[in-house]
Amino acid sequence: MAVTTHSHDIIPAELSLAEASRPRLLVLATSLATAAMAMGFVGLLSVYISTRADVLATGERWLPDGVNIPLTQPNYIGLTVAFSVVTIWWMVSAVRNDDRVNALAATSISLLFAFAYFAQTAYLMTIMEIEIAADPRGVLLYAVIGTHMVIMLVAVGYTLLMALRAAGGDYSSRDYEGVLSAAIFWTVASGLYAVMWYVIYITK
Amino acid sequence: MLLVGMALGLVAAFESADGGGFQIARDADEYTQIWSIGRDLVMFGAVVPILLGIALYIVPLQIGASSSAFARGGAAAFWTWALGVDLLIISYLLNGGPGGGRTDFVLLWATALAMMLGGLIWAMVVVLTTILGARTVGMTTDRVPFTTWGFFVFCLVGIFSVPITMAELLLGYLNVRYGHLPITESEALAAVMDGVSFAPSIYWLGIPLLGIGVDVIGAHTGIPVASRKPIMAAITAFGVLTFGADLVAMASLRTLEFNNALLVLGLLGAALPVLAILGLSGLSIRNGEFKARVALLGALLSGMLVLAAAAVALLGVVEPIMVGLDKIIPDAIDLNNTLVVNGTAWHESVRALMIGAAVVGIIGALHHWANKIWGRRLTEPLGMLSLLLAAGGAVLWAVGELVAGIADRPFYSALDQADFDGYSGLVNTMGFVSAVGVLALVGAAALLALNLASNVFGSKPAGSSPDDWTGSTLEWATASPPGLGNFPGPPIVTSASPLADGDLRFDGIVSESMAVASPEGTEGEDA
Repeated sequence: MAVTTHSHDIIPAELSLAEASRPRLLVLATSLATAAMAMGFVGLLSVYISTRADVLATGERWLPDGVNIPLTQPNYIGLTVAFSVVTIWWMVSAVRNDDRVNALAATSISLLFAFAYFAQTAYLMTIMEIEIAADPRGVLLYAVIGTHMVIMLVAVGYTLLMALRAAGGDYSSRDYEGVLSAAIFWTVASGLYAVMWYVIYITK
Repeated sequence: MLLVGMALGLVAAFESADGGGFQIARDADEYTQIWSIGRDLVMFGAVVPILLGIALYIVPLQIGASSSAFARGGAAAFWTWALGVDLLIISYLLNGGPGGGRTDFVLLWATALAMMLGGLIWAMVVVLTTILGARTVGMTTDRVPFTTWGFFVFCLVGIFSVPITMAELLLGYLNVRYGHLPITESEALAAVMDGVSFAPSIYWLGIPLLGIGVDVIGAHTGIPVASRKPIMAAITAFGVLTFGADLVAMASLRTLEFNNALLVLGLLGAALPVLAILGLSGLSIRNGEFKARVALLGALLSGMLVLAAAAVALLGVVEPIMVGLDKIIPDAIDLNNTLVVNGTAWHESVRALMIGAAVVGIIGALHHWANKIWGRRLTEPLGMLSLLLAAGGAVLWAVGELVAGIADRPFYSALDQADFDGYSGLVNTMGFVSAVGVLALVGAAALLALNLASNVFGSKPAGSSPDDWTGSTLEWATASPPGLGNFPGPPIVTSASPLADGDLRFDGIVSESMAVASPEGTEGEDA
């Protein structure tokens, strides 16, 4: 074990590092908060589904005339988000193994994927050509997509904070609950994209 | 906030009791504003935050932790909620909120309410994390006190259901912001909060009250309530029914129609767990020593009011059951003569009983733990008066609304002059009865505030009251109020009633779960 790479030189190198002495409170709290966030998002989606069903029941089209949701961008966004889940767990694995180089690489690539998600989603919004002020259906669409963007933004902020703390030595193989918490939030946020992808982009 | 919310509710009640038209409010919109802020402030500005405040103080003591899991997180939740409350009041003062006429301040109302709910969700996460991760050695989940278990179920249901209301607030905000809901129709926004105010969702408030009640009964009769697992299962079942109702409400967009089987099941089933808990707790009263203390009476009355709410709510299933039977046996039932209370003031009668149960339960809980929190006991005669006023007021309020509802008064008591003119004499009389009931609740809240103020800021020194009730849970194993770290050392328990069984030890052994409960206490602070 690479004890000597730590700054805690006061601890004799021959001693094995102790396990973190407290239960993973941050992981617990993050999981609960993530569940609450997911429930709110699912609630929003349920309103979307229900309103869409009401409109379809009248024989009208759900999307207004002239509005088109292409599939190419949502599919690429989905792939991007899926890759980011892999890289975020790569980050956790790297911190668990005290591998700072890999941790930095994994964090950077995850953030790059997140940037790609925001860029692609923003582009998708511009080509959908639905006016939020012109149609109540636009409100629903933008509320769902916008809420997911906010959730991803929180995931990015949380991950960045935990990555910085890991870089500062707060998290390592001994205690990595911060990065684990961020990864849990990121993964659920990405999972919510999969639900949104099916409900909004596939079923249209 | 309880006093302010109830006082605004009183204004709305007197307004709707007056058959001559708008006397206090200038028009229907202003009436909606007064009524809705009163409703929201009582529930999310007072009752839920007070319950969570009790949880954040008492739960760590009951499970042997040195502090809540994220002490600063709890403080941040409080300030988020407090800022939300301030903004909510400001939004109404500047003609915002449901019924408001200024777009910016209607939007501020939605933002403020979302902040309040966000703060409360945050506090619920802190309470849950404390219960799940900071229990001391030997405090297994089947040994946690009933109060803690009640708060566990309450917070779990809360973090899954309150965000749904936040999602609806977001849509309400966007619809107003982009003109899809004209500002002249902003009173429709009041419906956003209907979902959490209707049975069976509103039973959510009763979950911690049941847990607190069982612990209080055990402590004041000297006999800890037996049948732990059935009671814990009953509290859980009660919570599951409210959560199920929320899921249904989410799926059906919180419509007022009670045609969903799960909602009917929620209404039908909720009374049974409450009945079971009251019955099993009654054994302690029968075998122990009954002393007419505020805490004990508060626990009993609170449970009875929850039961009454569940019983009154049963009227709501008459119509869907009859409709269902009519489908099975056509023409066998005269649907025109079926009791239909859905969409009437009946909703308010259930809410009145649940709010009454919460106020009574809070009065009892504060009398039970006042010495533990402030080191001074609350005054019993004053507490008894406030208890009786609250219970009596809730019953009067509920009776008035129930009879008015059966007489077909719509849910939103008065929306325009035509509604007033159309009221029968009975409806107006019942409106007056309700108003008297709300007045009694305002009196109870005022007396509670006076009792708290005179004891907390009084001349009696802290720690001057001995703990002389025979509580068997961990909070009674430490000083009142507890010192830094809560306990002299990490407690080790081997049973659910460590004080009654005499098997409590304090030890310095540090293991994974005990590190949080260490006297130094910094391990469990914010990460």
